Amino acid sequence: MSEPPPANTLRNNDGSELHPAVRPLAQNALHCGADRRSVLRVLSWLGVSLVSARAVLGVAARAVASNAPRQGGTLRFVCSVQQMTDPAATTWVEASNLFRNSVEFLTYVDPDNITHPYLAQSWHPSADLKTWDFQLRAGIRWSNGDPFTVADVAFNIKRWIAPESKSPNRTTFAAITAIEPLDELRFRLHLSRPICSLPEHLYAATCPILHRHFEAQGANWPRNPVGTGPFRLTDYHVSRIAVFKRRRDYWGQPAWLDEIRYLDLGSEIATHVAALAAGQVDLLYRLTISELDLVKRFPSMQLLSEPSAQTLVMRMQQDQKPYDDVRVRKAVVLSADREQMLRLAYRDHGVLGENHHVAPSQPDYFRLPPVRRDVAQARRLLAEAGYPNGIDLTLALGNTQGRYEQDTAQILQQNCAEAGIRLSLQVLPPAQYWTIWDKVPFGMTYWAHRPLGIMVLELAYRSGSVWNESHFSNQRFDAALDKALGILDPHERSAAMGDAERILQEEAVMVQPYFPRKFTAAAARVRGFRADPQDYYRMDKVWLA
Amino acid sequence: MVLTMLAVSLLVFAVLELNVDDVAVKVLGQFSTADQRQAWLRENGYTAPFLFRYLHWLWAFITGHWGTSTYYREDVLTLLAPRLAASGLLAGTALLVIVPVGLVMGVIAGVREGSVVDRLVSVFAIVTTSIPEFASAVFLTALFVFWLGWLPGVSTMADGFHLRELVLPVGVLTLYSAGYIARMTRSSMATVMQSPYIRTARLKGNSLMRVIVRHALRNALITPVTVIMLQIPWLLSGVIVVEVFFAYQGFGTLLYQAALNTDIYLIEACTMVSVVVVVLTQVASDLLYAWLNPRMSFKAAERPAGAK
Repeated sequence: MSEPPPANTLRNNDGSELHPAVRPLAQNALHCGADRRSVLRVLSWLGVSLVSARAVLGVAARAVASNAPRQGGTLRFVCSVQQMTDPAATTWVEASNLFRNSVEFLTYVDPDNITHPYLAQSWHPSADLKTWDFQLRAGIRWSNGDPFTVADVAFNIKRWIAPESKSPNRTTFAAITAIEPLDELRFRLHLSRPICSLPEHLYAATCPILHRHFEAQGANWPRNPVGTGPFRLTDYHVSRIAVFKRRRDYWGQPAWLDEIRYLDLGSEIATHVAALAAGQVDLLYRLTISELDLVKRFPSMQLLSEPSAQTLVMRMQQDQKPYDDVRVRKAVVLSADREQMLRLAYRDHGVLGENHHVAPSQPDYFRLPPVRRDVAQARRLLAEAGYPNGIDLTLALGNTQGRYEQDTAQILQQNCAEAGIRLSLQVLPPAQYWTIWDKVPFGMTYWAHRPLGIMVLELAYRSGSVWNESHFSNQRFDAALDKALGILDPHERSAAMGDAERILQEEAVMVQPYFPRKFTAAAARVRGFRADPQDYYRMDKVWLA
Repeated sequence: MVLTMLAVSLLVFAVLELNVDDVAVKVLGQFSTADQRQAWLRENGYTAPFLFRYLHWLWAFITGHWGTSTYYREDVLTLLAPRLAASGLLAGTALLVIVPVGLVMGVIAGVREGSVVDRLVSVFAIVTTSIPEFASAVFLTALFVFWLGWLPGVSTMADGFHLRELVLPVGVLTLYSAGYIARMTRSSMATVMQSPYIRTARLKGNSLMRVIVRHALRNALITPVTVIMLQIPWLLSGVIVVEVFFAYQGFGTLLYQAALNTDIYLIEACTMVSVVVVVLTQVASDLLYAWLNPRMSFKAAERPAGAK
């Protein structure tokens, strides 16, 4: 292998001055043993050209399929077809995968968590990371013929952060104080505090750029599915079917597939596998642990799998009795046997969680001392809290991802019984659980993978954030997040994250047993599709052999 | 008949809408605030007395205003019509298979009571009717989809109608109810075959085939007809298990989804449709009885003396 070029060949996508942190970071990676992939990722946030960064760091892009893709064909994708009236407020990743075909994002984060230009062609932050200049790609047209401009972006960002916004983006981007259009294609974001990973946050499921007249034209996306993306929505029936057809006038490289049909086959995944075995569908959205052996027996199916930071969170609302007493919460957390849950409910296909919702696979993870089970201590705490004869609690869950959720909850039930906690389970149908997930006092919620630990902490545990289901509100924690958000060096950032993780553990916010591996299955003829840890699927590179 | 429907409609309405707060919770969600609920109730005329609301609802129902589904956000009637047609198709196809299969098996067994054929049919019928549909659906799928690979695994009909996709759902339904009809026909046939008029017919030199078709069958059919007519409402609304298992987009799946999502107006509409179907099949079966057994009459005064 040839010697990588020296760090002075690094350049920004827009040719602007490199951020002052860029060269020291690259030097660290080259000479001080810092993880090169993590550094590459940070450089991608700072607007550094990936080609130059990869060359300097010697990190190759993942190899693409060797044979030439074939144009045409209809792909049939098994996926829930959900409401997607307002893409910015959607709570379902499945729904976002549907509109992802038609509406696009400012940035694109690949399955390796590297941020790429998308609608935004380039960006660069100021030295203090509080002012960000974005340049949009020229020549993009909406499917209704309108040109795509800064007005569209400004409309969306203002809408996200408006006080009445129902989107989780309101808190994620709360630091944005102003969006300043510079010309038709350039704008500047002003932030109240530094956020170095801003470009990565812009690819969250709730951040598609909608047409500037979205609200004026009824604020119902499926009724008026205008987009800049490679496909257009042509048919849509909730719980039944959604059809996307290829746009010939797409601004980028047109998609390979002519058509994608999303079929809602209900929640029974064994049925989905039967449809795949019979050749009625080509791709499943997910498999659970129960169908794994069945799929392995079919050589005609591709089993796709990816480690993931998706997880189950059994969280307690801090403002609800009896969970307002930290001793009760601690008793529950101390009773839980997470190893047993991973082993029995997910057959060890995953990584143990540590009750702070940051996964070891996330680059900003900080290793804390291992969490130990202590039933005797749980009993003591319960007695101290005024429940010497035990306590009756109810955990709500919806099996939204499959039966393994209930299996996990049942293990918690048995664990808790040892400590005198009589836990009853309230099992709801999946759709019903999603109507109450952030409202029940004690509930088990599935959280999708996020590339960074801080993204999920930001969404789920910052005081007052829209998706803060545990009603956790802690100034020390918020300050720890603010601090970590401003640190560029991956190593230092992870140390700062340690504080946030520790506070979540000390406050016994949740039992977070494990990070299950992600599985899905596809027909042999599906090419160019990779299981994405985050379940964010772009279909324009997928083709059929 | 109309009275039955009215009584059931009142019951349905009372169960689902007697408590107006419940309605508001179902429409607005479990954790909506009391203010929101009150406002919603006022806006939607829920402050009126129960009986008035019932009459209003009934009138709306008769005139085809069935409300909007809270989950699908679509008009209930437009949602329901294609689903009902799809279930009608499935039920009709199933009946076309179930009735001949059940009758033929029953007649063959009943004619020669106690023979090997009779034993075989009886055992088969008892075994198949005691296997619930969710189990036979799994067996048939494992056999024909996963192992042999002959048949499609789901029946969404997403690309239009495919007869192949009907095979497994119809197969499961047939397995479950053909045996039942066969057993009914068998016992009824066995009784009829021992009656004096059949013996007379045989002694007159008629062939067995002719006796069965011309003399025995019509009388022996009375019991199976009841069973068959009872199958119709069951096929239309009771096949939830089969429809959900094969992802068939019919009435059963819709009712299931509505129940899961506590989609109140959709549940009401589905229930009312089921009521109408049950009542109509009852009327049809009464008319069929009259045709099969002329001694039976709806006018009590004309009933011939001595008839049971």
